[in-house]
Amino acid sequence: MLFFATTIDGLQMGLCFAVLALGVYISYSILDFPDLSVDGTFPLGGVVCTILMLKLGIPALPAILLSFFAGLAAGAVTGVLHVKFSISKLLSGIIVMTALLSVTLALTKLLTRTGLTTTIFSFRSENLEGLFSGSASRLLGDANRDYMILIIELIFVIAVKLIIDLFLKTKLGYMVRATGNNEMLVVSLGRDSGTYKILGIALANGFVAMSGALYSNLYSQYDNSSGSGKVVMALASVIIGIAVFSKIKFMGNTTAVILGAVIYSLCLNYLVLVDTNGIYLKLLNAVLFAIILIFNEKTSGFITGRQKAKRGQAKC
Amino acid sequence: MLELRRISKIYNPGTVTELCLFDNFSFKVADGEFVSVVGSNGSGKTSMLNIICGSIPVSGGEVLIDGKNINSLREYKRYRMIGRVYQNPAAGTCPDMTILENMSLADNKGKRYGLSFGVNNSRKNYYKEQLSSLGLGLEDKLDVKLGALSGGQRQAVSLLMATLTPIDFLILDEHTAALDPRTAEIIMELTNKIVKEKKLTAIMVTHNLRYAVEYGTRLVMMDKGNIILDKSGKEKQDVKVEDILDIFNKISIECGN
Repeated sequence: MLFFATTIDGLQMGLCFAVLALGVYISYSILDFPDLSVDGTFPLGGVVCTILMLKLGIPALPAILLSFFAGLAAGAVTGVLHVKFSISKLLSGIIVMTALLSVTLALTKLLTRTGLTTTIFSFRSENLEGLFSGSASRLLGDANRDYMILIIELIFVIAVKLIIDLFLKTKLGYMVRATGNNEMLVVSLGRDSGTYKILGIALANGFVAMSGALYSNLYSQYDNSSGSGKVVMALASVIIGIAVFSKIKFMGNTTAVILGAVIYSLCLNYLVLVDTNGIYLKLLNAVLFAIILIFNEKTSGFITGRQKAKRGQAKC
Repeated sequence: MLELRRISKIYNPGTVTELCLFDNFSFKVADGEFVSVVGSNGSGKTSMLNIICGSIPVSGGEVLIDGKNINSLREYKRYRMIGRVYQNPAAGTCPDMTILENMSLADNKGKRYGLSFGVNNSRKNYYKEQLSSLGLGLEDKLDVKLGALSGGQRQAVSLLMATLTPIDFLILDEHTAALDPRTAEIIMELTNKIVKEKKLTAIMVTHNLRYAVEYGTRLVMMDKGNIILDKSGKEKQDVKVEDILDIFNKISIECGN
């Protein structure tokens, strides 16, 4: 029974982090930009969404969608620092992440003045309901709430996936892909590749912020420390997804990334079962990530080796 | 009309590795000319192309197009009138995108890259037609990723992509150097055909003396940042590979090689 509950919880978490992973897929895989500002934009999305819901009384769904723009702005700062001021990719991410720690804290203070508890507060008050406790779940009764959460999350994730897929098929999307792939080509086409880099990083962080907003809805509370470790989590999801699933025919990279996020979250949740005190959780997390990276290296090495052999035969 | 006027270029100024490549270097290319540029390594051929395209800044002098100074025009803006094919076949294409996607990207040069669909299906036949002119069978591989093609095939697509939209200048930077002799021959033939058909003004840097002699309307030889041979028209037609090779050897002897 505990195992079952853990699985459900893992799936809920995984689908929530799938949005995060899709964002990081844009920055890491498509733009080749290991973006560390993710650790800051994730809680930023959460706090902005919470403010919109609690202070302005905006319903959950539009609040989550609006939090996208907070991430968009923060991501644009990372992009501008890198492109316009030639700060390295890692450092511009770190700068924005550090700055956002204060920004989210200040935004949280905005909430405490309304008389709620300092960092943790509930959405489950009389007239404030999160995206996941709407009338639909009331209809099915409390026992089915878990499944309802999964279904709504799934719809949300698929919508995000389709939007990203569509975007990457547009001319603008092509340019963003080309920027990550071969910047020189973009310049040859008479365009400034820097613009597309900033745009891509901004979009990526927009989705990350949306995931943060979703996360605070899922657990009915905003947590200031929810950002820590999100870069690792997202990268692990993207790498597992691409390494394991993108080799399956007819499976797009975005679908692969979603599955990667779900599987990684499940693994993390099962780790909690093993280590009930939670002391070695981060260590196990790191080991799991290392294993994934090693596995990824091995598989790609294996495949290129095989391709080389094939090419050799063709020449003979 | 493209002109380099009294260009000077100093690498690493103010350091022990300071190197003055160009000092008062001038060079003019008239519209419709196809200039082959030869010269030993370090003679300044590629630096000259980079200065024209704005990839490296000049230390002094002017780069002019139709008499207008373009010194302050940024690299990506210059490429709106220039098409360039690099020595590295991977430089001119996107390896993770399909041939169709690459062609669509190149076809849209000069237009807006907005939120409309990247591939325009009505242009598919045009791309196929263009690709079949290469004679490499690429017209049936529209959905194959560029990264899966051989160097020669990629270079052929790069050449096609660089010349797909109207440009004023075509810059060829040792574009056959990384290819096997047979493929290099095909690419060179193709280059000649495209330059003639589209009446392009072209500058080709090459280490292949035969190509330099056989193709193009003008032959230029560079050494240590200076032009030491410049033949065009009738004179150019009379030049033989042996003549060029002789000069090459003389230079090398002077250098002590």
